Amino acid sequence: MKEEGIELIKDGKRLDGRGFDELRPIKIEVGVLKRADGSCYFELGDNKVIAAVYGPREMHPRHAQDAKMAVLKYRYNMAPFSVDERKRPGPDRRSVEISKVSREALEPVIIKEFYPKTEIDVYVEILQSDAGTRTAGINAASVALADAGIPMKDLVSSVAVGKIDGEVVLDLNAVEDNYGEADMPIAMIARRNTITALQMDGRMTKDEFEKGLKLAMNACQQIYELQRTALIERYSEM
Amino acid sequence: MGLEIMDDVRRDYIYNLVRRGKREDGRGFQDYREIKVEKGIIKKAEGSARVKIGNTEVLVGVKLEPGEPFPDSPDKGVIITNAELVPLASPEFEPGPPNEDSVQLARVVDRGIRGSEAIDLSKLCIEEGEKVWIVFIDIHVLDNDGNLVDAAALGAIASLLNLRMPAERYGLSGEGEEMIPLQDKPVAVTMVDIGGEILVDPNYNEEKAAVSGLTVISNTDGTISGMQKYGREGLKEEKVSEMVEMGIEKADELRQRFL
Amino acid sequence: MKRMYKVVIPGDFISEDVNRAGEGTYIEEGKVYAMRYGVVDEKDEIKVVPFVGKYQPAKGDVVIGRITEISFPYWIVDIASPYEARLHMSEVTSGGKKRVEFGSMHTYLDIDDLIVAKVTNTDAMMRIDLGLMEDFQLGGDGRLITIPYTKVPRIIGRKGSMIRMLKEKCNCFIFVAKNGRIWIRGKEEDMNLASEVILMIANEAHTSGLTDRVADFLDSYRSKMVRMDNKGLKR
Repeated sequence: MKEEGIELIKDGKRLDGRGFDELRPIKIEVGVLKRADGSCYFELGDNKVIAAVYGPREMHPRHAQDAKMAVLKYRYNMAPFSVDERKRPGPDRRSVEISKVSREALEPVIIKEFYPKTEIDVYVEILQSDAGTRTAGINAASVALADAGIPMKDLVSSVAVGKIDGEVVLDLNAVEDNYGEADMPIAMIARRNTITALQMDGRMTKDEFEKGLKLAMNACQQIYELQRTALIERYSEM
Repeated sequence: MGLEIMDDVRRDYIYNLVRRGKREDGRGFQDYREIKVEKGIIKKAEGSARVKIGNTEVLVGVKLEPGEPFPDSPDKGVIITNAELVPLASPEFEPGPPNEDSVQLARVVDRGIRGSEAIDLSKLCIEEGEKVWIVFIDIHVLDNDGNLVDAAALGAIASLLNLRMPAERYGLSGEGEEMIPLQDKPVAVTMVDIGGEILVDPNYNEEKAAVSGLTVISNTDGTISGMQKYGREGLKEEKVSEMVEMGIEKADELRQRFL
Repeated sequence: MKRMYKVVIPGDFISEDVNRAGEGTYIEEGKVYAMRYGVVDEKDEIKVVPFVGKYQPAKGDVVIGRITEISFPYWIVDIASPYEARLHMSEVTSGGKKRVEFGSMHTYLDIDDLIVAKVTNTDAMMRIDLGLMEDFQLGGDGRLITIPYTKVPRIIGRKGSMIRMLKEKCNCFIFVAKNGRIWIRGKEEDMNLASEVILMIANEAHTSGLTDRVADFLDSYRSKMVRMDNKGLKR
């Protein structure tokens, strides 16, 4: 991972001017798609993602139905133009794994027993990518699920922490991700301190992990407030 | 791996056992099943190992082939990890393209090796920008009785321990078969949460009964080089920290005994 | 500024009064939380009325369905729900007295026909059985509009006050089914007005004082129409 010759921290600040515990600017819009049952547009710095929810609806194929509850499906997909080098359309191994992890990140809050034999489809499209797309996708999906009227216990909020130039920092951008030493995307139910997704690559000590976890928890709380505000305001501005 | 729905009866049985401080096979909560690691068992492969953890059996073979480097790292070799859940290993595995479980298995193992920098990729450069060694790590699951990740990760690193460069076969620098020294020995430890207890090395039934789990991959110096959470329920923050600590500790044990 | 009902999102704390917890809420550690994104209604029990959602059929509901398939001896009916419903052949044959030949079911009810039916049974396998209502066939010059089923109570209003006003002032026949489908029949311009008002109610269902606002809207619309008619005459 580590490349020599790129200084990611100068005078205690990151290249984009952020402090170690600072999120990139976030923008959330609810109900942006007409046809979907629920939707959300989410920006995190230069990441632009959109999530749509369809369902609960009849599940196909029928043999995959669960007689007791709804089945949650999640598709993470990157637009070919979302990255510097064109991404070949369609699922690759990375997106298959991210889809699985993201689905599991949301499952703990969804009350699936109300709609047996149905499926709830979450489609996340990454329109522009600048590191952190899976976390942005989970944030958008969580809001879109609420918007679709899906019964849920809570929202899920997600952010990545990482290590650059030996420092544990919040929310890596693409340059930091490419040249940093470690990256750890986390999703959680912010108000319950419950972790619903956790991945890590690169290298960090146990203390750095603990520090990262605290940073992430704090940030998820902030993201949660923004998600909540976006949902509440949608029906307040009449 | 895929913590799926199992029938309620079996799940209740597992939970009841755990509540009484027991496991199906009589182990302690933090004990691994019996582990066997045999290195170099496939002659045709440049590195190989068969790992058994209880009844779980995984064969890992490593092949090296010259190929093109990635444009953004012209002087570095490439690691490609792949996992096949072949139908002979479980009634649940089906032939066909990799599903999300096999993709996840491969990627978690891959991240552990990459993160630890176990292989010095700059040693795998043949001609900068033109030709480098591609390291294919292929995980072949033979019998799935749970905890494929730890078996596969252990198999991968054990295979890499006796890795030779097949230079002659490809008409490159006639120095015979040079060994590639490893810089680290990452070890994966997988744990599940059952009724609030942390169980190390879940067998198949435990894996199915659990609703959440975590793999922690750590290195000789105790640093972490990969993590992945599984399952349809969340884990409390304290639980995750506890698992990380336990994972590092158990990895050290395995490293000393088998690598 | 319209007064709003309290908007909540899933996980929001609503009350400690667990005995009054109703639809759209869940109880955890002795507290009532919102389970859906919607507005809180505390009139009788504590409920969260979701802004949108999928209709869940319940026994006794009267719904508007659309025939999608004929699968002897059933018609398969789309009822704007994740679950399709079925209507047994005997429903059109006065309890089986008349004999319907295999292959002739479409002569009674065909694909895309709209029907008014009552949910007679639901089971754990989510099989939904329908029975036809007396005037079951919808067709001709009417118009079908669909709103989220969660807004149906607002269209009806307290003790039917809203729907009564709509029928009267729009001069239309209006039938509101539990699944969010609404059948309107009347003169073209009357139907246009009724559709517009119904959508307005659906869009503002989470605000209070709606009945008064709708009344104002209808009155001003009517007087505008009169003015426009006069203009038309001048020309």
